[in-house]
Amino acid sequence: MANVLDLRRRIRSVKNTRQITKAMKMVSAAKLRRAQERAIASRPYSAMLASVIESLKRRVDIYDPRTGELRHPLLKTRPEKRVLVVVISGDKGFAGAFNANIVKATAHFLDHNEDKEIDVEAIGRKGRDLFRRRYPAAKFLEPSENEPKARPERQRAARIEVTGDHPNLLEKLSFERVREVGEEIVARYEHAEIDAVYIVYNEFKSVIQQRVVVERVLPIIAFGKHDIAEAQEMSAEARAHAAQAAMTAGVSVVPGEAEADVKEFEDEAKKFGTLGVDYIYEQTPREIFEDVLPRYITSQLYHAMLESVAAEHAARMTAMDAATNNASEMIDRLTLTMNRVRQAAITKEIIEIVSGAAAI
Amino acid sequence: MADTNTLRVRLVTPDRIVFDQTADAIEVPSMAGYIEVLYGHAPLLAELAPGEVRLHGASESPNGDCFNVARGFVEVLPERVTILAESALKPGEINVAEAQKELDRGHKLWSEAGDEAEKYEHANEIIREAESRLQSAKDS
Repeated sequence: MANVLDLRRRIRSVKNTRQITKAMKMVSAAKLRRAQERAIASRPYSAMLASVIESLKRRVDIYDPRTGELRHPLLKTRPEKRVLVVVISGDKGFAGAFNANIVKATAHFLDHNEDKEIDVEAIGRKGRDLFRRRYPAAKFLEPSENEPKARPERQRAARIEVTGDHPNLLEKLSFERVREVGEEIVARYEHAEIDAVYIVYNEFKSVIQQRVVVERVLPIIAFGKHDIAEAQEMSAEARAHAAQAAMTAGVSVVPGEAEADVKEFEDEAKKFGTLGVDYIYEQTPREIFEDVLPRYITSQLYHAMLESVAAEHAARMTAMDAATNNASEMIDRLTLTMNRVRQAAITKEIIEIVSGAAAI
Repeated sequence: MADTNTLRVRLVTPDRIVFDQTADAIEVPSMAGYIEVLYGHAPLLAELAPGEVRLHGASESPNGDCFNVARGFVEVLPERVTILAESALKPGEINVAEAQKELDRGHKLWSEAGDEAEKYEHANEIIREAESRLQSAKDS
């Protein structure tokens, strides 16, 4: 049996670990609160954007009356041969199964689309590192001097390739940078380099309402609705853990008053642009429509990233709460063992003295 | 509120609701030029051009507030104006060095565009946006 000194040292070390995990939990809780606010603050914009499009849609002929074809390239459905998957994972570990779940969902998606050529665009360092190791990076031909092309030419070597690199995009999430990513995706779609775009991310409604989803953003089928291809709900156990963690960290489980404000906005957003008003259009409705569609994609991407960031912090908070609890348990157990060992030593000494005395 | 002749004005960006208040009038930059909206304006939907949104007689900032906006839309209803913009900055918040860099990038793109209309358009957009930002920063 270990001696008392070793056990005492062990307890001290576990106590230190507990302190660290506790601090990390509190930090994550604070970050989560901020991320949650941002995610909620972004909702009025996306809701309004969706309703503007909805109202425009009724005024614009989406279908060409003569050929019966869809007019806007972003609405066009092509057979899915080449697919882009945008994987939004976290930048850091220590978040329980957060990154693993995202990767698992992606792998599942890749396995089920064996007949297609797939590009993986990883946002978030954890996912990027992993997919880079698994799949080769996409190669593009250098544009030649004599015949400059609008788009770089692609040399595909493998069925699944990794494109794009966005370091630190999530850390300081700004709409500006997401827009660049979104515009690039839209351009690739318009040039028919890809036939569909999916995003894999962790949807975040509240601490106890999260799920990993695979959502199709392009082609656009319906506005203001999420076109979910696959979803994986939280298990009841995970939910209970998360609720426990949120309670001890002082984070509200149900999104609070801010939600009510947003609700009002969302209700109004539904009316926005949809009233039976005859608008004066400064540009033709079609021009506005064409302009708003790429923005819609960007706003969806941005929203997915905000939610993913909030979910990451929530996952980390839950994981750290579990770690803190485990450490406490371990300390209790070790203390018990230490006391036993000490008592055993004392008992042994007494026996020795007594039996020594009896022998004389 | 229904019987007073004040205009409810709102500016919404992806990050937050920049303002939501009442005002006497609001100036909005649209693609065809600046428009000023007063109470009772006919319903209008327009694309925003890079420029300044100006409030007159606003309830929360009576001496006129000004925001540099870019990329978005404005919806005008008789008693309500809603502006959706991807960026909205106060003139004081504009990073002049950054805007200058953007402007240079725009010019560079423009001169490299070759003979593709798409690229010219893209470059022109960047230039317009940067110029409007610089202008706003200078005026304040």
